[in-house]
Amino acid sequence: MTTKHPSCRAIERDLVATATGDVESHATDRVQRHLQTCEPCREEFGRYRAVDHVARGLRATPPIDALASSRAGLESRLADLRQRRVAYRIFPSPLGQILIGRSEHGIALVEYLGASTSLRASRLGQADDVEAVEGGPELERLQRDLLDYIAGRRRDLDWSLDWRLASSEFARSVLEATAAIPYGAVSSYAGVARRIGRPSAVRAVAQALRWNPLPIVVPCHRVIGSSGRLTGYAGDKLGLKQQLLGVEGVKLHPGRGDVSVAREAMYALGEGASEYCLPTCGDISTRNLSVVTLFASRADAEARGLTPCVDCRPDLHPLSAA
Amino acid sequence: MGLQPFETVVAAHHAEIYRYLLRVTWRAGDADDLSQETFLRAYRAWDGLNQDANVRAWLFTIATNLARNHFRSESRRRRAYAGVSETRTDVDPASPEETRRFHETRVLVERVVDGLPLKQRLAFVLRKLHDLEYEAIGRSLQCSPDSARAHVFQALKKIRLGLNGHELPTMESVR
Repeated sequence: MTTKHPSCRAIERDLVATATGDVESHATDRVQRHLQTCEPCREEFGRYRAVDHVARGLRATPPIDALASSRAGLESRLADLRQRRVAYRIFPSPLGQILIGRSEHGIALVEYLGASTSLRASRLGQADDVEAVEGGPELERLQRDLLDYIAGRRRDLDWSLDWRLASSEFARSVLEATAAIPYGAVSSYAGVARRIGRPSAVRAVAQALRWNPLPIVVPCHRVIGSSGRLTGYAGDKLGLKQQLLGVEGVKLHPGRGDVSVAREAMYALGEGASEYCLPTCGDISTRNLSVVTLFASRADAEARGLTPCVDCRPDLHPLSAA
Repeated sequence: MGLQPFETVVAAHHAEIYRYLLRVTWRAGDADDLSQETFLRAYRAWDGLNQDANVRAWLFTIATNLARNHFRSESRRRRAYAGVSETRTDVDPASPEETRRFHETRVLVERVVDGLPLKQRLAFVLRKLHDLEYEAIGRSLQCSPDSARAHVFQALKKIRLGLNGHELPTMESVR
């Protein structure tokens, strides 16, 4: 080992940095001044310059055959991942913790988690053909939309949907028919069954809605029993159904543990009709709910392009808003 | 989303990340695995990435972490290193003196670089071959920018020492 003069040692780092192009301006002057007086360091400087020159030569990038095949392999794995990927977000709401999941095709899942905030306990966490990843800002917007909806500040969720978690073609047709029930309206399980051309499959419709992967967005809360009772919601969450219908202005009879829709306080639309009626018009109050859709307000009915019945004139004799 | 689509990230950076990992791991198979893993991880985290993040530096950080995990087993490192020198191509002896000297030096430098402790080697490659800022190198190596700078300094010193007694290529520009 050669021993260096202290002043050479002191400047060594700056000398190497300057020689190899890692310049910090204040150091350059000091190094240059030192080099003027120190022959050995001048030589060192030159050698480091050469080292740097050679090191930069290492950047030369020869063609690599394996590069293209590695890229192709990556693209195919990314495509697969993209297919399976669901970005999710869990957030608190007046209906408890809610998880929303979005794939590249659209919203794939809305799930009530109750008090839990854990992905693992969720339906998404247990699905084996999806890859759940925590979502970013895009999901914040969806969260706001949903909270606005629950608070009654927004009437529709114009989200693109991914139906992949619908368990079957039948389930999907049930969900699509349900998605067509307008805001502020209620229909019956039997009504949905009729609309998908399977009038006897009422129980199967109820089952499909029980496993609705997109509650709220696909408004299964607007589907009730033919008797007018709410009957069930997402398993055991009848209270949430009541809350959501309340937000939309649907009138309810509290009842003893068995809430039902106040049919006499809602406008009615017979199957196939384009005019909506007062609940007292003709025989509409006695018709089965499988062939009648109820609306909370005239505005909700007219938003769907319906016109007031020319016999009972709901436009002249509106129901009281109370 | 304010971020660019992920496909453009792959298009812009895959080749560079692959080359980086090839230089660090010495094996095409490992570079293939690790570069794919780098981008799959990046894809998973893409939505959550800060909009003004430096994507390139971020990818290097992921790649560097994977490379360090890869070499956590020292025996793997030795096995990989043992195969390095044989793969070097020799220079055409008919080439001009100066070119030949440059290539000889280059082989020597590569040998020293390949034998450096992992952190120094990574810091050197990130700085000298990929021009990353010390800030970003520090983040990749989980150390401060100053430590990153020190790693590069140590690497250069060892390379310089490794060239003792070897006639270096002349450089017209050396003052």
